[in-house]
Amino acid sequence: MSSVTRAAAAPRAQSAAPVLVVDGIVKRFETPDGVMTAVDHISFDVAPGEFLAVIGPSGCGKSTLFNIIGGLLDGYEGRVAVSGETLKGPHASIGMVFQEESTFPWRTVTDNVAFPLEIAGLPKAQRVERARHFIDLVGLSGFENRYPAELSGGMRQRVAIARTLASEPKILLMDEPFGALDEQTRLLLGDKVLQIQDQLKQTCLLITHNITEAVQLADRVLVMTYRPGTVKRMVPIELPRPRSSEIVSSDAFGRYVAQIWGDLREEASRGMRDDEAHRGGGAP
Amino acid sequence: MAETGRLSAPAAPLASPVTLVRIAIVAAILVTWEAVAASGLLFRDVVPSLLVIGRATAGLLADKTYYWHLGVTAGEVGIGLLIGGLSGLAVGILLGSNRLLGRAFEAYLYYLGPTPKIIFFPVMIMWFGVGPGSKVAMGTISCFFPVALSAAAGMREINPVLIRVGRSFRASTWQMVTKIYLPAMRLPAINGVRLGLGVAIIGTLLAETKLSNRGIGFLIINAYSTFDMPRMYALLIVLFVLSIGVNAVVGRLGGVDSIRRA
Ligand SMILES: Nc1ncnc2c1ncn2[C@@H]1O[C@H](COP(=O)(O)OP(=O)(O)OP(=O)(O)O)[C@@H](O)[C@H]1O
Ligand SMILES: [Mg+2]
Repeated sequence: MSSVTRAAAAPRAQSAAPVLVVDGIVKRFETPDGVMTAVDHISFDVAPGEFLAVIGPSGCGKSTLFNIIGGLLDGYEGRVAVSGETLKGPHASIGMVFQEESTFPWRTVTDNVAFPLEIAGLPKAQRVERARHFIDLVGLSGFENRYPAELSGGMRQRVAIARTLASEPKILLMDEPFGALDEQTRLLLGDKVLQIQDQLKQTCLLITHNITEAVQLADRVLVMTYRPGTVKRMVPIELPRPRSSEIVSSDAFGRYVAQIWGDLREEASRGMRDDEAHRGGGAP
Repeated sequence: MAETGRLSAPAAPLASPVTLVRIAIVAAILVTWEAVAASGLLFRDVVPSLLVIGRATAGLLADKTYYWHLGVTAGEVGIGLLIGGLSGLAVGILLGSNRLLGRAFEAYLYYLGPTPKIIFFPVMIMWFGVGPGSKVAMGTISCFFPVALSAAAGMREINPVLIRVGRSFRASTWQMVTKIYLPAMRLPAINGVRLGLGVAIIGTLLAETKLSNRGIGFLIINAYSTFDMPRMYALLIVLFVLSIGVNAVVGRLGGVDSIRRA
């Protein structure tokens, strides 16, 4: 059922009242070399239930955008609105999964996942029960009483995802959640995220620099330029749902990857030239 | 943080060469002491024989008033540690979380930190009287600085993404402090409390030896002024043993839970 509604969601993106509006965001940073524009007039809408992937080369401003939408970064131009309400700080309907390792090392898996419930003031018995549910959802049953140091990197990332899911956000914001994982784990976790999103009918915004991941998961892919970060192209992915990681070997999938790679290659090589120039200039 | 937790507890075999040397050192000191006492080279009562000191120690431990004085000192140190520790923790967290405040105020902490706090004693007497109040104040001032500095440093070492996680879940300031800051910085904080306890004991005892009518410091200076050397040495020995015990207990607090969770 969800695959039907979701397939319909993408074309409706422009007509249905968007749950997330990003309007003309500009963010500049003061650096030793002067003012640097990290994000330059980025605008897009996300429809309810839609899965949007944002892709761009390293350093193009993806995390900056992520932190702005999450309400953790201010001092920007433009406006972010959630269900029509202009954002001022972290919003209750947004849940964030961070790029960096973010589990609390002093808490067990259960206590990590129950963290948002604790913040909300739920009684202990209910917290544990709800946490169980989400631990099960990300496939970590049996590890409830382990500490993060006793888990693999992929498992820790699943704990972080379960923790954010436990707060039951309407909009799930993820910044390269599988960035540090190997390709196989990444694909399988991607499947898991799709399953969960189908179940919970969430709106998803996934930030990534992995083309396969973007095409596998998203209804639309926003390709960003490198420095300043702007919208280079919005690519609707019209692949049937439900999708699984097997789709990556299909022809249609390959065409999308090739198209996005064409766009990205230019930007990525500009980024690399920049880095090299910087390194060359810095060396005595 | 994890590494120091694991490395700080090397398991020493019972009779390692180090242990033997340590025992030899203590034995040598005791023998020398006894020899000096027997030789009569120094004024007779300044270096009493070990037997006399031993007897004085036993007498001290059997003496009810000694425990009363010990209670007074322990109470003063405890209250000083509580007030100084909590305020140090609060100030440290504030300075560590606010860059402007941190930059502005930390210089003062660094200057005042190593200043011998006994110079404030006359002021404390004027403010809080000659009773336990001024001793508690000395303990408080002494332990405030190491706790505040460790807490501020600990705050700055917190993984920033953990703070962003807390903010993204819209934790209140109090929830941030109790659920993220304190647990994330517990190792430096406990270390600060440990240092704080040491200097609180020193500050309190020093104040007691200067001007007071109760407490262990008072007993020591009283034994000295009545020239009861065996009793004075007995007090020092007991104090020494107590300090080692307290330090070991506080050290445990920092080590135990760091193995799995750090
Ligand atoms: N607080 C800051 N101060 C100064 N410059 C910053 C700051 N945060 C980010 N930048 C700069 O902004 C640019 C974009 O950074 P951002 O972290 O958003 O990139 P990204 O697209 O997430 O990269 P990656 O894929 O490597 O995570 C980078 O050039 C970075 O150096
Ligand atoms: Mg990033």
